[in-house]
Amino acid sequence: MPRITFISADGTQLDVEATEGQTLMAAAVAHGIEEIAAECGGACACGTCHCYIEASQLALLPPADEAETAMIECVIDPRPESRLSCQVKLTAAQDGLVVHLPASQH
Amino acid sequence: MPHLTAPAEASEEGFNFAPLDPAFAADPYAAYARLRARDGLTYFADFDIHLASRFEDVSAIVMDKTMVRSLDGLVPPEEIVAQQRAANWHDMPHHSRFVQFSLLDSDGEVHDRLRKAVFRLFTPAMVARLRDDIQAYVTRLLDRLLDQRDIDFVEDLAAEVPGHIIGRLIGVPDEDCPKLRIWSENIVQFFDIDRSDARKQIAETATTEFYEYLSALKADRLKALRADLISELIKAEAAGQFSEDEFISTCMLILMAGHGSTIDVLGSGMHCLLKFPDQAARLKADPALLPTAVQEMFRYESPLPFFHRYATEDVTIAGTPYPRGTKFGLLYGAANRDPSAFEAADRFDVGRKPNRHLAFGGGAHFCLGNHLARLDMEIIFGSLLARTRAIELADPAVTYKRGLSVRGPKRLDLRLVPA
Ligand code: HEM
Ligand code: FES
Repeated sequence: MPRITFISADGTQLDVEATEGQTLMAAAVAHGIEEIAAECGGACACGTCHCYIEASQLALLPPADEAETAMIECVIDPRPESRLSCQVKLTAAQDGLVVHLPASQH
Repeated sequence: MPHLTAPAEASEEGFNFAPLDPAFAADPYAAYARLRARDGLTYFADFDIHLASRFEDVSAIVMDKTMVRSLDGLVPPEEIVAQQRAANWHDMPHHSRFVQFSLLDSDGEVHDRLRKAVFRLFTPAMVARLRDDIQAYVTRLLDRLLDQRDIDFVEDLAAEVPGHIIGRLIGVPDEDCPKLRIWSENIVQFFDIDRSDARKQIAETATTEFYEYLSALKADRLKALRADLISELIKAEAAGQFSEDEFISTCMLILMAGHGSTIDVLGSGMHCLLKFPDQAARLKADPALLPTAVQEMFRYESPLPFFHRYATEDVTIAGTPYPRGTKFGLLYGAANRDPSAFEAADRFDVGRKPNRHLAFGGGAHFCLGNHLARLDMEIIFGSLLARTRAIELADPAVTYKRGLSVRGPKRLDLRLVPA
């Protein structure tokens, strides 16, 4: 059960228990995190599930593939720590992950 | 008016699903509620399609990577030709090259390649660059309409904006934008309600004229590229990513996908504000609610409520197994009123959050133009509410367009009282 901490743009923090095999997007949506709009439902087709991984923890995740990388270039304010939460599958290795949410996806 | 009989499955239970009837146009949501209440999916013989109406089932189908939009490769070419004949889609040389083939109606690698080439033009950042332009255009329109006071909101305001903006995006000079609207309407009207030979001729002629127009525009733009879709596509074609036909087809799709739908949801969204004055007052008092209000308009009266998918593999949906080749109907408009996905689903709530609806579809074909459509809406409603003291419905009998594929009022007669 990886524990994930989501931090909103205004600093509000929420710790959630995710399930292994769940995507980071699904974990956020299941816990009512509105900032993850996830409009295409997880098909890497909209870019509205964008989030920033705590910089020191980037190595905990497998790198983004070509489709995710291309989509990240299209989101608002992309940074080196940017990921699409629908493309991140959670395992025990990500226990303790800290995820920063953008103020807006549009 | 074509008369369609109810499918046996539906009439057995005394439920006559007749989506082309005026009664359905008056209130599709009662029929949608009855569909959602039935076990599994509902087979609708007239369209030879299995209708999904619950949020869960519609989501499962759009997110399923084995579901596609195009029949290519799924059935023998003879059968595709036979189906085209049955639908009266045959013998339309330009229409079949540029409309029947499109980014929307392709899948897999072809779809990925075409979508990638235009995606960049539709990102939030790119769309935001159109903001000042749209605002200036809407301001000028409103200057005139606030003097006029008695307006048909659909014709005088809604219909004036999206064609102009998409024209700008494609790279069409302003003075030609009215032509785009006529062509796109003449093509779109052949999709759903009326497949007569007369309509077919009109659709083919419009496609031909549009094709010739775009070819000339392209030849002109080749002399000097700009920051528009045509120039982007010229580059993609030069890089070997796009064929000439794909170029024309993509321009046409973008115009057709974004034009009528935006007009319709502007109309139904305005109608919602009039039907729910408490919500209109709330929005007027707090313009920061505009983004959620617009998101709710898309959910509450989804302007493109019906799409389809084909199964490329045997699949189980809503507990029932279906063979490869099955055609599924996605009732986005019904899923978006599903009480198991939305609290008080039939309530129009300008502050609704979260509001993850399916009005823009989902999965690989998720709407490319959603940011643009939202921006048009936010600017129009924001400006209108700020510049009026009151907006009154002059004729409360509002008639909606007929058909399963579209949702929007035909006209909306208003009296504007300037602030
Ligand atoms: C006003 C509201 C709009 C609504 C409700 C809407 C809805 C949709 C939906 C539901 C789909 C997916 C179809 C499916 O599931 O099979 C779609 C696709 C598409 N839309 Fe929109 N749309 C709107 C506006 C626009 C605008 C303004 C544009 C462009 C200027 C646009 C361009 C497209 C394109 C190109 C596709 C095909 C994407 C693909 O197949 O990958 N749409 N739209
Ligand atoms: S949910 Fe659309 S890209 Fe992740």
